[in-house]
Amino acid sequence: MRTTLWALALALATLLAPAQVVEESLPADPGPLDFIQGDSYEQWILQSLAGDALVGIRADGALTPRLATHWTLLEDGSLSFTLRKDARFADGRAVSAEDVLWTFRELLANPRASATKRAILAGAEVGERQGRPWIRSPKPPGRLLLELARVPIAQRGQPGQGSGPFAFHPEPGAWVFTRRDHFLRPRIDGLRFRLLPDPTAVLTALRKGWLTLGAPQDTPEAEPPPTCRRLTQPLHAQFVVWSRLGPGPLRLLERWRRDAFPARLLGRTARPSQGLWPETLGFPARAIQAEGMSATPAQLVLHHAAGDASLERLLLALRERARRDGCDLQLRPLEQGLLQERLQKGEFQLAGSVVFFEPQPWAVLEYLEPTGPMNFTGWRHTGLAAVTSRLRQPGDAAWVDLQTLWARSPAALPLLDFQSLLWVDRRLQVESSPMGLYLHTPGAAGWRWR
Amino acid sequence: MSRLLQGLGIWGLGLALALTLPGSAWKPAAPPPFPWSALGPAALAVASLAVLAPLLVWLGGPTLASRRSLALLEAPPDLLWAALLLALWPPAWGPPAQTAWLLAFLAAALPGEVRWLAQALPGEHPLPLAWGLRATRRVRRIVLRRLWVRWLAARLPVWLTATLVLERMLGVPGLGTDWLTRVAGRDRRGLAVWVGVLACLWLLTRPWQREAA
Repeated sequence: MRTTLWALALALATLLAPAQVVEESLPADPGPLDFIQGDSYEQWILQSLAGDALVGIRADGALTPRLATHWTLLEDGSLSFTLRKDARFADGRAVSAEDVLWTFRELLANPRASATKRAILAGAEVGERQGRPWIRSPKPPGRLLLELARVPIAQRGQPGQGSGPFAFHPEPGAWVFTRRDHFLRPRIDGLRFRLLPDPTAVLTALRKGWLTLGAPQDTPEAEPPPTCRRLTQPLHAQFVVWSRLGPGPLRLLERWRRDAFPARLLGRTARPSQGLWPETLGFPARAIQAEGMSATPAQLVLHHAAGDASLERLLLALRERARRDGCDLQLRPLEQGLLQERLQKGEFQLAGSVVFFEPQPWAVLEYLEPTGPMNFTGWRHTGLAAVTSRLRQPGDAAWVDLQTLWARSPAALPLLDFQSLLWVDRRLQVESSPMGLYLHTPGAAGWRWR
Repeated sequence: MSRLLQGLGIWGLGLALALTLPGSAWKPAAPPPFPWSALGPAALAVASLAVLAPLLVWLGGPTLASRRSLALLEAPPDLLWAALLLALWPPAWGPPAQTAWLLAFLAAALPGEVRWLAQALPGEHPLPLAWGLRATRRVRRIVLRRLWVRWLAARLPVWLTATLVLERMLGVPGLGTDWLTRVAGRDRRGLAVWVGVLACLWLLTRPWQREAA
């Protein structure tokens, strides 16, 4: 009798307990949830919560099933996907091959669709065979699968509806997600995002307990409150400098980056880059191998994005290091949009920007391919096509050849590797990854309250 | 007529600047929807300011313009008011919302606007002070009535867009955030609509700005 009463009391308490919603902040307005047109870091977070891609990427970077239980490489080079039967949209309708095809075709046909997703599907053909969607692309299957993890599937005709582990409810000034009956079995009740662009405000909100997790301003004095723990995770993010003057200035920067930045200025979120490409994507640190060392120029001009105080302090340190070698490194801060235009027009000697790489090694091809969105210097090499055709899987030997090609005449060099510093409520268990907390599988669906 | 043309010329320049804003976004994306829910709080903030500032000037008179305490209140930037409010806001109340934003906005804007209006009042010594308080306040009322529409027309664009710092600090997205998001995303059409609406508001105030002969 007593046991029954205890069980009843426990059940009642569980029913009456308030939902434990994770309170989070967004640094910028993501705009409306739109699986076709949405394209920003904040929009990716919303899409990862409310949508499912055919495949997912685990925190360790490996592929994992998501909407598709498995996939097969057919003889004609196309990839065929078997969809899970228990994936459903908010109205209860099962996710079908028609939804997959509609999403892909809309992305290919709509000129206002996400540029990132359009690039992923460029040149692809899609179709359906016996209820299974297939896709054929000029890209190697290994690359295509990793990239498809960034393309959540929308409900046919409804670009704002996905089948993800959380249902989206927009509120004035807030983006609210509540748990759904989903195959990833989310264990938290929901998430609520507020727009907090100011890192100082994030710090105050974390200290006052208004946020469950957040990335506060990194200062040596900032200590998390007793209710929070500090979580550091490497990111696929670097501060990259492009050179229109050839590899000569980049060789100087390669030397300067080793000892230019004092540890106190670097803080916990940045460290000097070691190689040419992100080590988080599996690339070993390589040095520039360009032949012939030109003399140190008397003056160099570096354009960079204005507004990030910690980055600007680090660039001042770099300027002082250059001065020791007799080079006057002139820093020209520009508004981000103006810098982007200057990069695209090639109107710079040196230009630096923070780059967030896609979570797969093919992301570095954006530097090298003639139409690559980060090939701001018109870099080209006759041997590129032959090497890229041999890139079938991450870790293939051809990646070494590709890096060698770039190391002989690089057009860009990373100066800083970034990592994110988060304060997380001690009661919340999360899984970090170089993609952040949300963009891997299971992402927020795998979080749990202790 | 020439003043109208001058004004239209300036708004036209603003429109041209919005449509030809240089620069481009790193990843072009669809512009955000207009935050209609922010219109109510913005209207309330503007209405509060439009009533409170003339009322305080009517009570205080032109000497407010040189009052040191007012200058002290006017000096701190929006950032400080927002930080102070955040620091004093009790954690148990939850994050500050629209009401807190309105309070911070009034604290930041009211002293400056009171001084702006007080400076525009004519001197009161020896007349109308010699006629007594009632006559003095009547004169102030007449002057403020003339001044009110011009002041609104001049300051409205600032009030509607310059709340950005408060919005960022307090996490209350509003019209200032919308304006900045469109600039950052190079939504030239959206910015042009903004400039057009502000120009229309200015045009609407024109009939009330005429001086009686």
